[in-house]
Amino acid sequence: MDSSKNSSPDSNGGSSSSQLKPIDDLIDLLLGKDGNKPQANQPLNSDPIDPFLDDLVEDSTPQANEEEAIKPEEIDLTLGESNGVEDSLDLSSDDSGLTETWEPRASKKTEQKDQDEPTPKAESESLPQNELQATVDSIARLDLDTKEASTEDLADTVNTLIPLIVELLQFKLDNSRETIIKTVRPVIDRLIEERITEDSHQMAVAIAKILPSAITKGIQLTPEEIARAIAPEIALSIREQIRLDSDAISQTLGPEMGKAIKAQIELERDAMVDALYPVIGSTISKYMVEVVREINSKVESTLSPAGIRRKIQARIQGVSEAELIFKESVGYHVRAIFLIDKDSGLVIQEIQLPGERHLDSDMIAGMLTAIRSFANDCISAGSELDSIDYGDWQIPLEVAGYCYLAVVVAGEPSRQFINKIRQVLEEIVLEHGTAIQNFDGNMADVPPGIQAKLEQLSESEKDKPQKSSFPSKLVVLLVLLGCTALIPWGIVGYRVRNAHSIEQTVATQLDAAPELSVYRLDSEVKRGKLVLTGRVPSQYLRAQAADITQKIARKHELQLDNQIVAVNVPVNPSLIAGEIDRLTNLFNQQPQVAIKTSYRPKTLKITGFIGDEAVGETVYQSFTRIPGIERVVVDTLKQLPLVEQRVYFDSNSSQLNFADNFSKINAIKDLLNRYPQLHLKLNVHGDGRGSNSLNQKLSQERCQNVKTALVDRGIKPARLMIDCNRVALPVSPENDRASWSDRYVSFRAFIPAISTNLSQ
Amino acid sequence: MLALERLSQLFPRICPNKLMSIITKKICLLGDFNVGKTSLVRRFVEDKFSDRYLSTVGVKVSRKSARVQTDTDWQQIDLLVWDLEGNTKFKSITPSYLKGASGSIIVADLTRSSTFKNLNQHIKLFLEVNPKGAVVIALNKADLIPQEKLEQLVENYKSHDFNRIVSIYTTSAKTGESVDIMFDELAKVVTSATRQQ
Repeated sequence: MDSSKNSSPDSNGGSSSSQLKPIDDLIDLLLGKDGNKPQANQPLNSDPIDPFLDDLVEDSTPQANEEEAIKPEEIDLTLGESNGVEDSLDLSSDDSGLTETWEPRASKKTEQKDQDEPTPKAESESLPQNELQATVDSIARLDLDTKEASTEDLADTVNTLIPLIVELLQFKLDNSRETIIKTVRPVIDRLIEERITEDSHQMAVAIAKILPSAITKGIQLTPEEIARAIAPEIALSIREQIRLDSDAISQTLGPEMGKAIKAQIELERDAMVDALYPVIGSTISKYMVEVVREINSKVESTLSPAGIRRKIQARIQGVSEAELIFKESVGYHVRAIFLIDKDSGLVIQEIQLPGERHLDSDMIAGMLTAIRSFANDCISAGSELDSIDYGDWQIPLEVAGYCYLAVVVAGEPSRQFINKIRQVLEEIVLEHGTAIQNFDGNMADVPPGIQAKLEQLSESEKDKPQKSSFPSKLVVLLVLLGCTALIPWGIVGYRVRNAHSIEQTVATQLDAAPELSVYRLDSEVKRGKLVLTGRVPSQYLRAQAADITQKIARKHELQLDNQIVAVNVPVNPSLIAGEIDRLTNLFNQQPQVAIKTSYRPKTLKITGFIGDEAVGETVYQSFTRIPGIERVVVDTLKQLPLVEQRVYFDSNSSQLNFADNFSKINAIKDLLNRYPQLHLKLNVHGDGRGSNSLNQKLSQERCQNVKTALVDRGIKPARLMIDCNRVALPVSPENDRASWSDRYVSFRAFIPAISTNLSQ
Repeated sequence: MLALERLSQLFPRICPNKLMSIITKKICLLGDFNVGKTSLVRRFVEDKFSDRYLSTVGVKVSRKSARVQTDTDWQQIDLLVWDLEGNTKFKSITPSYLKGASGSIIVADLTRSSTFKNLNQHIKLFLEVNPKGAVVIALNKADLIPQEKLEQLVENYKSHDFNRIVSIYTTSAKTGESVDIMFDELAKVVTSATRQQ
């Protein structure tokens, strides 16, 4: 131990002094010789190395007592020389080989130790002993010379020594391994350090060979220590690796993440929940918010057609409406469609929607077919597998003929869609059944029509999910709806036609009434009522229209609703006047009617006489009906008109004095002409002077003359009745008064009885 | 715009059909349990081998594309290989798995003579389901048998006469011996059968 302490400063100083090539050769030589063996052993089994390591470790620690017990004599023997060797070695040391060979060599030494140690070494040592002595001497000399000699000289000297040293070392190693160990031991760390500074690559190569097994062993022996050693750097090294190759770490860790998470969940469930909660919570809540919003809008639209459809659907399917709403909100879409040969499981045709990860159709088809076959054979022969669900996905299967259709759907497909699938498959089988039956895996033989059909399935779902299919239930529903719509429509239609005919009748009849034909009157049948609308200028026309319509209404058991408005239309005054004249004339032609009418706007005044009250009423009504006349004032007499004219005569004369009476006669003539039905009775009055017979005669003549005068003026004699046989005398004869006023013919109008008229 | 999208949707499906028709064929592997069916498939499809024994449950479907030379051209053929669960005396093969197969590889284990005896039974079963199917016999685990003994075994077996048997191979999934050749030959036979039809 002491010696090693002494030598280490020396070697320190010497190692830096020279780097001579021959020394390298020497070490190589050593290496070549000893290094071969361990190299061959190493890959096969690392065990042999370990003992030496142990040896080394043990040697450097204050153990190895037993060895020391054996060694003293060797030390005695070799101490001097070994020191010398040491010095020379150290002086020239570059000794890359030494460190390298150290461990491998150790293996040899152990073997040798077992074999050689017991044998005495004296005789084998005897020969080289002298040589050694010589070398030592030369070295000693060298030491002395060093001060004077140049570096080159020194090198030369060392070079010459090298073969010797080699041999020496070899010899020494063979014989006294322990000694070498002892001497080298203290400087190993230094050696390694030096070596690393000089040629780190070589060193790395050297150590690399055993590093894995060393670490393995280390972990086996003291796992905690290794862990402690490595721990601080792991994070850093991972970070570094990520920087160098970002994928590598994730690829390495990826497969294990699932397991790790699982394990962690098993260990500490709550911690994992807490850790994931913020992420999953927000993801789920975001999704749910969308769904709930969708649901809300669906609930709000309860009364929309879609809402009603949903209600009916819920009834039919026997599920709650809420479930349907949820389904609709969550939605579904087709991802892929496969038409698969039933037996072989080969894909006949496929459609994969863009935007989805491409599915391996062959494999999926194969597995689906296998599953189908399995289910058919092992679970229930004869029945079919309808659908395969996994998580969010559903694969409805529809079988027909020699093929089946598998549709990969995300979400819950609607019933209509399933029916649509069925329908499409039916069509395909119908049209291309033979081609499918003969399908032998050649895609070229697949009819292109199939593709189109399948596409129709994928499209219809995307674009118009409502119209996609008309399944039987829906059809029934539609028919029912149609019926409920059509029957009332038919009834209404019938009613409308009926009403129309009624209206037609009303129109015709109203037209037929001459007074009403000029006015536009509409009739409409509405809820059991016959409604009359329109405008007429008078209440009378309104009533008349109502009258006509009433009959029709009664016939059809309708109630009349007369909404005709009687409006006061400004009527052409000349027309009114004409009408008034016409009516007046008309009425005046009737017996006992002699009226005069005077019209001022809106008011008609009737004067004259109307002998019969009933006739008077008719007259009144008739004038009221004339449009434009609002008010009819009847101021008629029930008596016949008084003829006030009197035709006076001179005393004792029956001659008519035309000069005086011309106007009177004319007036009477006019009156008679005006009232053609009127007859006049002529009365004669006398003054009572003279004889009765004279008066009688005069009276007769006077009457006759008046009558003649009137007849001469065109009056029919029949209308003039003479009643002149009886002479009326003055009531109170007054002598002082002029007598001419008593001599006259008076007239009294009368209307003869109808028979009389007829006789006329 | 719409028309374009539709075209592009149609395009990828239609084009390969027209330019070069892909033929897909179903092939089954049959044999007793642990004769090496799965290993053969694995060697053929993935070019891998593992001596861990994992019993196949039910069926495993794999695919491998092969190119087969026809009279005029190279034809691409997709082989869908159905690796069936090996049968034991307790459990027979589900016949419906065999339906629609164009060919089969019936596998025996060279180290177990009992598997030889069952070969005929498998061939019969397969030909019952697929009378037109092609059959290739694979005598597997050839790496475990010395060469001279191998020849003798094959010679013995050849005395069995089945006209549908295309050929007999001694294979080794472990070394890969004859595996690809066998599958390629089956692919060729199966393809030419299609053409004749």
